[in-house]
Amino acid sequence: MSEIDWFPLTLSLRVAFIATVFVVIIGVALGWLLARRRFFGRELLDATVTLPLVLPPTVLGYYLLVLLGRRSPFGQAIEAITGQPLVFSWRGAVVAAAIGALPLVVKTSRAAIAAVDTNLEDAARTLGQSEWRVFRRVTMPLASRGIVAAGMLAFARALGDFGATLMVAGNIPGRTQTAAIAIFDAAQAGRDRYALVLVLILSAVTLALVYTTNKLTAGR
Amino acid sequence: MTLSVQIEKSLGSKAGGASTDAIRADGFKLDVQFEAPAGFTILFGASGSGKSTTLKSVAGIVRPDSGCISIDEQVLFDSDQNIDVPIRSRGVGFVFQDLALFPHLTALANVEFGMSDLPRLERRRRAESMMEVLRISHTSWRKPRDVSGGEAQRIALARALSCKPRLLLLDEPLSAIDEATKLEIISDLKTLNRELCLPILYVTHNREEAASLGERVIVFERGRVVARGLPLEVFGVPVTTGVARLTGVENIFAGSIIEKSEADGTMRVDISDGAGLCRIDVPFGNQAVGEQVTVAVPSGDILLATEEPRSTTLRNRLRGRISAVEERTNRTVISVKSGVSWNASVTRQAVKELGLSEGKEVWLAFKTHSCYLLDQS
Repeated sequence: MSEIDWFPLTLSLRVAFIATVFVVIIGVALGWLLARRRFFGRELLDATVTLPLVLPPTVLGYYLLVLLGRRSPFGQAIEAITGQPLVFSWRGAVVAAAIGALPLVVKTSRAAIAAVDTNLEDAARTLGQSEWRVFRRVTMPLASRGIVAAGMLAFARALGDFGATLMVAGNIPGRTQTAAIAIFDAAQAGRDRYALVLVLILSAVTLALVYTTNKLTAGR
Repeated sequence: MTLSVQIEKSLGSKAGGASTDAIRADGFKLDVQFEAPAGFTILFGASGSGKSTTLKSVAGIVRPDSGCISIDEQVLFDSDQNIDVPIRSRGVGFVFQDLALFPHLTALANVEFGMSDLPRLERRRRAESMMEVLRISHTSWRKPRDVSGGEAQRIALARALSCKPRLLLLDEPLSAIDEATKLEIISDLKTLNRELCLPILYVTHNREEAASLGERVIVFERGRVVARGLPLEVFGVPVTTGVARLTGVENIFAGSIIEKSEADGTMRVDISDGAGLCRIDVPFGNQAVGEQVTVAVPSGDILLATEEPRSTTLRNRLRGRISAVEERTNRTVISVKSGVSWNASVTRQAVKELGLSEGKEVWLAFKTHSCYLLDQS
């Protein structure tokens, strides 16, 4: 083959980018909750958000398929709002990638937020600031390295998601076939050169991201 | 404006959150009640005696188990009525022990921080004039890590005052500052106090700080108020050995009563400090001959002379030799060995004029009524 099909790679980048935006917002909120609030079931929540890290990707994909499928109330609600089903579309891939990256964001941002001196937050409160402003003006800027690191890890993780994405979004070339899935396809079909190109690009991007992340978190 | 506080809180090893000043492995109960009108009220006591927790309760950072906190008619906390005004609405200015300046912001942005509801120019104008009053305008564009201890302290003060608080809370604000800067800031605080007319709660375990601020002192010991009054009253007449030690009465000795003379109104006591013995006269009391007592003599009440002070009314005259000369903030402490080891406070000028130095022979003299018999506790 002479012409390289770039679609899987651009799709992966797009999916990973959107997934990162969502997962950082949700993950940092959960990280803050776990670091700063005491409530019943806190450690259980921590354990639950860690599950995607250790569960087989197929199990995760299965849960998502059941939860978001066209017959589930949740899936039907989304279909009613957006006019199209979530599963077997690139949006499904976004959800799968985001869930896979969630534990990394929650763990990293929880640690970063816990490291912020609570006296500084109390000082901001005595200066009349609401909880949201305390977070936005004090906690977040001081945890920003950790939060940026969390986002980069999330992006790297989302870029490489395979199992859950395959289960939820399927393997439709030109529509839901991400780079990770395209590599599997190409290797199976003996298109080794194409597989190698994608493998090298994904490896290089991920290495750069993890390297930068380590630099960010080590530099405090 | 008057702040009134009546709170109770169990301070176990678990309670109080991440408190740094606590020696409370055993746990005890904070149970205090006091009022603070405009001006300085000094909460004085050892680390872990509950002063900081009291301050944080007033600010709303720590929640008492029960009680009531109010400024004039406005209730900030009342466990019976289930009122607990959030920190941001209490209108208190708080200067933290470690100052808690925002490290990611410049000094000016720190001072502007609490005025986020004002227009930008107004905010800038107010912050700048506040910083000018406190003589820290030159630090405006520096980050907190690039300013000196005294400057950081003033930035924290400017930040706390910028929101026009109804109450100012200072938690050992001068603990990390050198002596000279400390005196400067204390005089600034006194000036501010006259202008602002706010209740100011000032937590410290430093007697000289407390004495130099010179207003009401409330002495904390293991979560309770054990003494209150003007610094002279509180520090002049120690009630218990604990307060005496805290208030810096340097001469505290164990002794036993040798004889009593009701006619003279005195008792003769043999005191010892492990290394030596000494006999002195103390005021007549209801203790029996042979009874064990604790005697305290404030170092400021001891007179030093280079010759025997014969014709005075001072009953206690002791001959000894200077063993140490130590400079303090605003006085010099001379240690004299005369049976036991005594400490006397004198001025620098006196040290010079009398040529007081180590090894010199001197006379100590003090009134019978400068000797206090302490409650045994």
